[in-house]
Amino acid sequence: MQDSRLRLFSVLLLSIAAFLSVAGAVLTVLWLMLYPNHLAAALRSRALYLLLSLIGLVALVMTWSGGDGTSYLVRTGVLVILGFTIVRGWSPGEFLDLSVWIFGRKIGFDIGLAIEMTMQGFDEASREWARIGTALELKGIKPGIRSIPPLGVLLIHTRLTRARDQADLLITRGYHAGGSCCPVFRRSKKDIIASFCSILILFIAFFTVRDIFILVM
Amino acid sequence: MKLILEQVRATRGDWQFSADATFLPGIHLVTGRVGSGKTTLAGVVAGTLAPGSGRVHREGIGSTTLSLQYPEYHVTGATLAKEAASYGVSPDDALSRAALSGRGADDPFILSRGELKWFHLACLSLRRWDLLVLDEPFSALDCRGKKRACEQIALLSPGIVLVCTHEQQHLPRTDFLWEMQNGDLHYLGKVPEALPRWQTAPKAVRTLLSQGCIPANLTDRDLGEALCRIRD
Repeated sequence: MQDSRLRLFSVLLLSIAAFLSVAGAVLTVLWLMLYPNHLAAALRSRALYLLLSLIGLVALVMTWSGGDGTSYLVRTGVLVILGFTIVRGWSPGEFLDLSVWIFGRKIGFDIGLAIEMTMQGFDEASREWARIGTALELKGIKPGIRSIPPLGVLLIHTRLTRARDQADLLITRGYHAGGSCCPVFRRSKKDIIASFCSILILFIAFFTVRDIFILVM
Repeated sequence: MKLILEQVRATRGDWQFSADATFLPGIHLVTGRVGSGKTTLAGVVAGTLAPGSGRVHREGIGSTTLSLQYPEYHVTGATLAKEAASYGVSPDDALSRAALSGRGADDPFILSRGELKWFHLACLSLRRWDLLVLDEPFSALDCRGKKRACEQIALLSPGIVLVCTHEQQHLPRTDFLWEMQNGDLHYLGKVPEALPRWQTAPKAVRTLLSQGCIPANLTDRDLGEALCRIRD
């Protein structure tokens, strides 16, 4: 989806839909298939499966304690997949544009800059993790559970150092607060159709929930 | 002991890397301009980068390692002592060699990049490697550090040592000379016979060659002696 405003709008609606009902969650998955490349990229992420396993664990506990673990697993799992897929479709500068468009040049610019730096940080952390893997391989060390705490500390350390350097750079370049940015958004017919579909999905999800409430009453 | 690159090819966008080469024990200096493919070669040789096509044969090579350009990429320990231990070397020896004695409890990241680079090279030099690939070993080092690194590299034989660098001032004693040109690896020959064929030769070497004087090797001492011969 090219227009980040429509993307945000669709994600908000789909998140609510997926959270409200299993039907909404299933339809959200179908909606994600409109963007197969981003979905495929998201499904290649190891972090996604780690999160899904944790959700699965919680769902198991819920089922054992008498709750509807399956519904929780489907709804929350789809929410996570939705998040991962949308992030894969992100391109640098989009959050800054979006934030300035929503909140204006002062606070919007600051929020957008913070989000952009955070997103960049995720990418860098992922590359650093790969580099640490290479370093361990070169040293002939097999990564295990015991190596997670020192490597985690190392990763946090490098992230904090990088954040400090970035803050220094911003100050050196004269950044104080706010800034000028002229957001440009491109929109395709597919974007509009997809956004419309997300509204429909929310309606379907909402009515499913309402029907349940009627039945309960 | 032998390392063979058989029609190794790799592509990155429009850029292509190609190497067909045999590396024998000794010090191999691989030079070339920035972006010519030295780091790709280092990765392929060390096995951290899979080539798009072709094969890498490691005959009789047991231990291999790669020194990455940025020393912080190697850090996996919370202290200098733990970092040295992660290389399988004695922390005291590594700290002493890197002129950091008594600082074993320090965080590796409080060192400057140059100090960290020197510490990393010290750790590597304390072990014997059948194949050691040094990608830009002189980056972040000052002149004194580069001279010391050159001396250390000379002691790393009898294994296969690849020194991939664009350094133009301080170079180690070299057995074989290679050049990367736009992604292609070219073997120039043994040193000193190969020197006249060296397109990206340092200015000092080019000056000597233009005077008809071929230095015995590439160390500061060799170049100084060759210069003295011209003056004589």
